[in-house]
Amino acid sequence: MERTLTREDLLKLAAAAGGAAVAAGPVGLARAALAAESGRLQVMDWAGYGNDGGQAMFAQYVKGHPSNKPQFTYMTNESDALAKLHAGQKPDIFRPYVGWVKYFATSGLVQPWDPKLITNFKSLNPAMVKAGQYNGKQYGIPADWGFDKILYRSDKVKPKAKSWGLLFDDRYKGKIAWFDDLNMLTVAGLYLGMKSPWNQSDAELARSQKLLKSKKHLVRLIWSSETNLWEAFGSGELWIAYAWPNDWVQMKKKGLKVVYMSPKEKPVAWVGMLMLLKGTPRRQLAHAYANAWVSVKSGKWLEDNYGYGHSNTLARPSSADLARVLQISNPKAVGLPNAYLDRDIPRRAVYARRWEEVKAS
Amino acid sequence: MDVALSRNGRRVLRAFFVLLVVFLYAPIAILLLFSFNDSPVPAFPLSGFTTQWYRDFAANPDLKGALGTSAIVAALSSAAAVFLGVLAAIALVRRRFPAKPAASALLLAPLVIPYIVFGISLLLFFHATGVPRSLLTVVIGHIVITLPYTILVLVPRLTQIDVNLEEAAYDLGAGPFRTFGWVVLPLIVPAVLSAFLIAFTTSFDEYAVASFVVGTRQTFPIYLYSALRFPSRLPQVIAVAVVVMVASLLVVVGAEIGRRIAERRLGTITPS
Amino acid sequence: MRLRSAFATTTLLGFPVAWLVVFFVVPIAIVALYSFDVYTLFPEQHGFTLAAWRGFFHSSVYLGLFWKSVKMSLIVSVVVVLLAYPVAYYLALSGTKRKYVLLLILIAPFLTSYLLRVLAWKVILGNNGVFNSFLVWTGIRSADHPVSQLLYSRFAVMLVLAYVWVPFVALPIFVSLDTLDRRLLEAASDLGASRLQGFLRVTLPLSLPGVAAGFLFVFIPTVGEFVTPSLVGGTSGYMYGNQIADLFSTGFPDWETGSVLALFLLGVVAVLTLVFSRFTQMREAP
Repeated sequence: MERTLTREDLLKLAAAAGGAAVAAGPVGLARAALAAESGRLQVMDWAGYGNDGGQAMFAQYVKGHPSNKPQFTYMTNESDALAKLHAGQKPDIFRPYVGWVKYFATSGLVQPWDPKLITNFKSLNPAMVKAGQYNGKQYGIPADWGFDKILYRSDKVKPKAKSWGLLFDDRYKGKIAWFDDLNMLTVAGLYLGMKSPWNQSDAELARSQKLLKSKKHLVRLIWSSETNLWEAFGSGELWIAYAWPNDWVQMKKKGLKVVYMSPKEKPVAWVGMLMLLKGTPRRQLAHAYANAWVSVKSGKWLEDNYGYGHSNTLARPSSADLARVLQISNPKAVGLPNAYLDRDIPRRAVYARRWEEVKAS
Repeated sequence: MDVALSRNGRRVLRAFFVLLVVFLYAPIAILLLFSFNDSPVPAFPLSGFTTQWYRDFAANPDLKGALGTSAIVAALSSAAAVFLGVLAAIALVRRRFPAKPAASALLLAPLVIPYIVFGISLLLFFHATGVPRSLLTVVIGHIVITLPYTILVLVPRLTQIDVNLEEAAYDLGAGPFRTFGWVVLPLIVPAVLSAFLIAFTTSFDEYAVASFVVGTRQTFPIYLYSALRFPSRLPQVIAVAVVVMVASLLVVVGAEIGRRIAERRLGTITPS
Repeated sequence: MRLRSAFATTTLLGFPVAWLVVFFVVPIAIVALYSFDVYTLFPEQHGFTLAAWRGFFHSSVYLGLFWKSVKMSLIVSVVVVLLAYPVAYYLALSGTKRKYVLLLILIAPFLTSYLLRVLAWKVILGNNGVFNSFLVWTGIRSADHPVSQLLYSRFAVMLVLAYVWVPFVALPIFVSLDTLDRRLLEAASDLGASRLQGFLRVTLPLSLPGVAAGFLFVFIPTVGEFVTPSLVGGTSGYMYGNQIADLFSTGFPDWETGSVLALFLLGVVAVLTLVFSRFTQMREAP
């Protein structure tokens, strides 16, 4: 015979639930709140990080929250993400890079994370964690990272100096590759010895742009996809390239004699930052996702499969080459004196236009 | 004596024709050759015969998904384009109205618009109207692009059909819809199919506009484009390229031959 | 019982025209509005301004890039017409019995996938590609010295575009030659003209509408090309269409400039079409 719930039963249940909540503490409260969050977690990420190959990065999240599996939309870059957000897309999480932290933090589009809800937070590289902060709040959880340096064929190229100038070397016309990003203006600024390459005045930008325009005829390819770079570099079309650490590892694997050079004007370091959108109805789930992303297991997978560094200091790559080129033993590698961490560009729109003009010239 | 060509002239031109055809088919033949080559890099010397790349592509769910998506988009947009094209063709051929040159210009205008311009204009349009990008938006764009082609195929055929046939039907008491359905439509079926096929192949292969208005699902050209910039999957892509190209060659050639045969059988019965 | 003419026409024509107005004319109008900053999708100040247009004309870069694309397209179009004319002539005027079959064989590659044909050339032209590996294999060149500047160059872009368009351009030229009245040539011959003179004085002028149409068929799409340059053009093969695509994708939102560039291209194309359409015969129903 069925027994329906009496008022007494309901009151007892409520008391029990409330008591349990009090007893369980903040994490328990979070879990209770989690119970109220529903639907699939909306993630906006770069190609290769969703269900199109990046499943390992969030596998732990899926295991723990099978009814809130992530649903992905893709961003081709931060401007694309910005456009999509303005057009009304409402992801819960997205992943811009460190140079955009201040922009998004002040845009009103994102909210800070609560590091207490991320158990792996304590293992994350402190320098990178700091880079994700703005006004003392943690707007970005550092995820992946790497360097921008110069990759060159040591059997074909004899640099005059360990300098960014190798990208502008007249002797190697037709064998040079630049990266398709307005950061080329920053690099030009570094080479020209400017004090604030990320915040150049009009006159300084004109100088950087002039340099790039005058040297563009030396450039065979302005790459935007790594595998395109690998194909061209691997087949000998290119001898010198603006490149990331994994590009050196891959070319070495092909048996080429390659050097990954740190320019004396200093390389640039970049860090991917998970950011939380304001007004998301799945705040707790988002934290759980972020936690999975920055776990040791995910970190190791990222290093071993995509060749990027990972913010979790306990995640070490299997490849000794990669470990070396990421300078894993130096946790302060992403900052001075080793490298300039990529940062906010206050005049980004102007930089963007100048870069497009370089490409058009 | 031939007024247009001397004997030598004919020989030279025939040789030139053959050379050009060889030049046109050589890259396709090269793809065919390397699709069976047992090496992840298409280069000489050849490394031996294998059907692995075909098996790989048959087992690649993303690739097959993209092919299927393109087929659906192409089928939907072609059907709509042919439907609109028939309406337009009837109006252009059978009816008199003052704005005919302007209407024709508008209907054929998508032929001359650079796809980059059309692509971004649709992007802005869908942004402005709040329509999320998806396969539907691709279908919409493809209908615009393929409509002129359908009109260009249907109008000549409709012109060939003697208006007296329709007059006769009316005299016998048939209404306009019946006349169309029983008299005109059967005669233009080959052209309708031809128009459908041209629209289909155009949509199936279209990359530029689709790249701006597609949502998260991939059409085949979009998959292909990213595969071309990410050459790790190149051999499979070559295998699928061969399959798609051979299939489209067969379909197009077969359709054209079929259309000619059908139209010869159906006859035109036209005063010239 | 016939339907009233005007009503029938409006219904028939209404659907296709409406479709094009909504999904073709209106989007272009939005681009125009965007270029004048009357309309924008980002929360920033805007209002009618010619700033973007002024920037376009005053900058030395955009018009220069446009001119570069025009030059490349001109070369491609001229080459394509020069290649297509003789084959069209052969098919139309040599009296060969299977001209339609041969025409179909000629055109068929055009009806296969464009991207796949670009892929074929990418496979052929690379340093380690089919062409170079063949040269190395046959000993014509050593492995250290491949013919290197093939891929990622202006040459690669023009070669691929010419390859893609030659079959299609042959068609209008063929049509105009095929409909040529041979009696005119015979008359010229009777009057003492040589074949060459017949060609120059009769055939060529009468086939010019087809040539003009063919030229337009290839020139217009290639001026705005961005797909082929992005795959095989590298830095030096970068064209005007690529800049438009970049302004809408990689740049920090600069859709105003992108809209200006797009509208400028459209304007040039529209003017060219109008001018050339006087030289071509666009056959329509009576």
